[in-house]
Amino acid sequence: MMLRFLTASGLAWALVAGMAAPASAYTPAEVTEATYAEVAQPFLTQHCVDCHAAEDPAAGLSLVDLGAVDEVNADVWKAVWAQVTLRQMPPPAVEAPEVVERLRFSDWIVAQLQRALKAEGGFRDHLDPSKGNFVDHDLLFGPLPDGLELRPTSSPARLWRVTREEHLTRLNELINSEPAYDPSTPGLRSHGDAVPTNHGGELKLYFGTDRILKWQGGTVAYATAVKSVPAILSPPRDHGLKNYPDLVSVNGAEATQIMSAAGDILRYMAYGPLSIATPEQITDEPNSYVFEGDIRGLPTSIVYSTKVVRPLTPVCDLLEAEEVTESHARAAVDFLFEALTFRPPSARESDDYLAVVLQAIDSLGKDQGVVLGLSAIFLDRDALFRPELVEQGVPDRYGRVMLQDWELALAVNHALRYIQPDALLRQAVQDGRMRSREDVRREVERMLADDAIRKPRVLQFFRDYFDYDHACFICKDNKALADTGVSNKGEAHYRAMFDATASTERLIEEVLASDRDVLRQLLTTDKVVVTPGDRVYYGRLSDARSREVEPADLQGPTVYARVSRPSFGSGSMKPERRLATVPASERLGILTQPSWLVSHSDAMDNHAIRRGRWVRERLLGGGIPDVPITVNAMLPDEPSSTLRERMRVTREASCWTCHRKMDPLGLPFEMYNHAGLLRTEEQGAPVDTSGEILDSGDPSLDGPVENALEMITRIAASRRAEEVFVRYAFRFWMGRNETVHDRPVLQDAHRAYAESGGSMKALLVSLLTSDAFLYRTREAGDSTLEADAATLEAGGQAKEER
Amino acid sequence: MLNRRSLLRGMTAGAAIACGGPANLGVPSLLAGASDSSGGPKRVIFFLQNQGFDPATCIPVGMSGSGSLAKATLPEPIRPLEPFKERLHIISGLHGRHTSPSHSAFFGALGGYRGGDGVPPSAATIDDCVSRALPETLLPHLCIGMDSLENMRTKPTLATLSASGAGQPIFMHSNPNHLHQMLYGGIADGDIRRQHLAQSQVMDRVEQLATTKGHGLPTADQHRYGQYLQGFQESNGLRQRLDAVADRLRTFAPAVDERYTQPQFETDWHDCLLDLGISAVTSGITSTLTIGSGRGEIFGSWKGLGVTEQGHNLGHMEQPDNPIWVKIRQYNSRMLVRIMEALERIPEGSGTMMDHTLIVYTSNNADKQHTSGANWPVMLLGNCGGIFKTGHFTQLDGTRPINALYTSILRAVGQNVDRFNLSESMAKKFDSASGPLREVFV
Repeated sequence: MMLRFLTASGLAWALVAGMAAPASAYTPAEVTEATYAEVAQPFLTQHCVDCHAAEDPAAGLSLVDLGAVDEVNADVWKAVWAQVTLRQMPPPAVEAPEVVERLRFSDWIVAQLQRALKAEGGFRDHLDPSKGNFVDHDLLFGPLPDGLELRPTSSPARLWRVTREEHLTRLNELINSEPAYDPSTPGLRSHGDAVPTNHGGELKLYFGTDRILKWQGGTVAYATAVKSVPAILSPPRDHGLKNYPDLVSVNGAEATQIMSAAGDILRYMAYGPLSIATPEQITDEPNSYVFEGDIRGLPTSIVYSTKVVRPLTPVCDLLEAEEVTESHARAAVDFLFEALTFRPPSARESDDYLAVVLQAIDSLGKDQGVVLGLSAIFLDRDALFRPELVEQGVPDRYGRVMLQDWELALAVNHALRYIQPDALLRQAVQDGRMRSREDVRREVERMLADDAIRKPRVLQFFRDYFDYDHACFICKDNKALADTGVSNKGEAHYRAMFDATASTERLIEEVLASDRDVLRQLLTTDKVVVTPGDRVYYGRLSDARSREVEPADLQGPTVYARVSRPSFGSGSMKPERRLATVPASERLGILTQPSWLVSHSDAMDNHAIRRGRWVRERLLGGGIPDVPITVNAMLPDEPSSTLRERMRVTREASCWTCHRKMDPLGLPFEMYNHAGLLRTEEQGAPVDTSGEILDSGDPSLDGPVENALEMITRIAASRRAEEVFVRYAFRFWMGRNETVHDRPVLQDAHRAYAESGGSMKALLVSLLTSDAFLYRTREAGDSTLEADAATLEAGGQAKEER
Repeated sequence: MLNRRSLLRGMTAGAAIACGGPANLGVPSLLAGASDSSGGPKRVIFFLQNQGFDPATCIPVGMSGSGSLAKATLPEPIRPLEPFKERLHIISGLHGRHTSPSHSAFFGALGGYRGGDGVPPSAATIDDCVSRALPETLLPHLCIGMDSLENMRTKPTLATLSASGAGQPIFMHSNPNHLHQMLYGGIADGDIRRQHLAQSQVMDRVEQLATTKGHGLPTADQHRYGQYLQGFQESNGLRQRLDAVADRLRTFAPAVDERYTQPQFETDWHDCLLDLGISAVTSGITSTLTIGSGRGEIFGSWKGLGVTEQGHNLGHMEQPDNPIWVKIRQYNSRMLVRIMEALERIPEGSGTMMDHTLIVYTSNNADKQHTSGANWPVMLLGNCGGIFKTGHFTQLDGTRPINALYTSILRAVGQNVDRFNLSESMAKKFDSASGPLREVFV
């Protein structure tokens, strides 16, 4: 009997639950005790060992006596898992296993690898974001094969570590007041936007930059003199989705540094610039402060205004008070706890931290004691991790518990924002109105409709999805850079690439503002957000020998990009941009912008493989196995050959199985050089921009393409690209890879997106009201919280009791 | 006889070694075991002066090619090293063109990759890798940074030179009072002891609270949360371990005097920081010390030497025959002498601590402030257990990068690597050979 789910609604699940599954139905990823002899041996015998025989085996690998999974043969089993799961094996010429048979074998390998590698931290490849596409696209969006039984989906109970962007934005709220959103200048940074990277791409928290009137020296002197704290939490990865809950923790060095930064922040909260400057430096008559001698680069070379712009909080009150009273101290503790964890403390948490503060004051006196004691809150678990533990609530018949109250509110808030829930959302929790799917829908729709509620998480998704933000970190060879036609002087190119990242982000905001055909617009728009310097980057290299560039004509209305405060003096970090139009015969969407092209290049040249991989994975939903460790993944160094010529090595039989998925999709971008300029020649001959879409999964897409523009146009118009986009959005907002059980959620989300004409808001509402977002399941064997049930109880109620 | 299973076993082991470091960078396994030393535990000290190290200020007059220093006279800026020149190896002709060192290569100076103001580290730096390769100590790695008094007070920790991985800077300590409290709080008196005890109480309580909130977490999160708790256990454990050996440390701990509490010039704090750094090495608290004079940036201050000009201007000056730079370089050299003399006073094996130590002195921006990095002079002091050549001047041809020197140091501490933080494609552009710098070995 074939099971099909028409909708992901609870009603449909109830109907499904009432159906009797056929006895032979297979539930993917179900815990199984099946043995090697029962599952693996028959599969290997029937589909593998004819080629991977004992004698003269294909690829030099015999699977005849591979045996059950153990620590020794785990690497071979990993390779088998990847090849079979991605349907690269058995090869097309051989009879393919049935879908369920393949799935059962693949799941069995995962379970066995998890068991065999338990002592080494377990097998987690299938959970890694780079392996999300290992779930076959057709299983999610095609007809459901006979013999599969799905179960109602949920996500695991878990802790999310806050990201570095989120953490710094949280800390920024304590010491800086950001301007309110102004609809007349929608691009300018405002309250709720993420703290962006500085001029060099570094994420830093700056102190008092909103009060600086004057400084001595140039931009470098300013950058050295100004007080700042770099991002403390480590980034989990380079390309791809970064914010899965299980990717990173907080290490000891980070904890130590958080404690140190906490002291600086608390002192600034209390004393403002006086914590980093002398009284003479704080004046509204900057000329009254005379720089004595050459003090460039010193904190004493800065003049601050007297205007108090930092938030004045109970921490300030406590330190200003002549005597410490318990009520003052508790107010500071409770305020800081909520500011750092985004929820009120429970009575016990409040008492615990109050005791820490009072003890520290007793030891060190008021000023030092308050700072030391309150610093402890910066290291509270919930200031660094966001719990989704569902310790309250009753499991449904599938063992799922719906998030509720603060956990649900913070999950919704985190889906869109880096700062605290607003008053309406907090009130909803206190009124008991954050407990249902409809409650979530109400809040999500309200927040999405309000532009003044900034939503940096949405932009972060596009950053992770497109990976256009690496350009300023790609170290270029100086001569190779000059050969592209752009300036290789000093840091000019890297600054331009930082600007390009901000420009691309602003373009995404423009597209999101219209909220129509979002993906297609991003892939095919002829609009670009540009700085004056982009005339070169969007230009054409007209003569490679003389490096002559025909600059682009970039006219259009003024817009603003969201950039950092002037962390580097007044000479850079300018938000002014233009919204220009480029010829559709030259550029189409983000994949043809310098930010993306350079992000997918290397020191010397384009990176056609990385570009092709991006298209394969992010638009076509294909998966690429890891490069075997035995492979020397190097192209020959031949300065007089084109990249296409040097890539001949990837056509060797052992490489081409994977490279055929990437190379023909990356080579069409050869119409641009590795700084992103258009070119018509390479090595003195017309540049070859041809490529081919192979085995996309949608036969109507397959076939040769003349260049990147044709390829992008064809794929952007496809339903498949939309579906894959929805898969990535699912991963980002659920914080995990999808499974077959998420099929109804993905289909509902895609339907919402398609039926709304490509609305990102509709997609988000669908995802954030789905079972995958709302429900959590505690694994079998997870214990309940032993010691401190009060720890996680909603603070409001507990505080009332006190 | 090899069978398939044993072959696979071998392949598995090989893979673990090959995959030990960040992809494509050739960094040794950070999990690699401590190197085994036949002559005693090795130590490596890195000393980076900002604004460049002009080769004309360190190459003896008349020496145009490689040769012994025995009959040479060291130039005036490094003249304090004259009595120690049999321990000295001056190297000219390494390059750092790929590190973008103009003004400063920042993390790139010790990382051997492109750095820049505001650019986060792209991989672990050599000092961190060395610290992980050396036998375990109470504190794996200590970084101290010297700057103007204002900067050291306002920004008592700063990370510009050392990193434990991509995007993971290691912070330098610049306030000697804080550092003294961290290292010797357990044996301190007065305010420092009071602060140490209060800090200890708070951190112990933070660990307890964090542990409580870890009870009952989902199985999948227990490992990650365990790493978080481990961090507290390490830092609190370090304090407890230091407290436990307080009596032994008492012999090494510098006395806190007015230079700490009421410094007249920044050089008072520089001296205190150096004392603390030396004591951390001689007491065995750490085997890896990084000293950043000027803290990797383009400023810095040496008013205590009678230098009134601000750091950035110092960088614009020519260094040879410049009395200001003679003062700064001589000050550095005296610091190097203090380190060597302190290590020589500590017996170890059949010799002294200095016999097993290597000091690497260079600049975080090659030869001068506005530089292409074509020449990156280095001075090595000590032979680190008889491994490194001394009493010598080596002139290289400018085709090998600083990464090659760092590869050599990794080899000396037992890491069998051919490259450090240099991918094959970068190596083709920037390195004329593979493996360590043969010229530095005995």
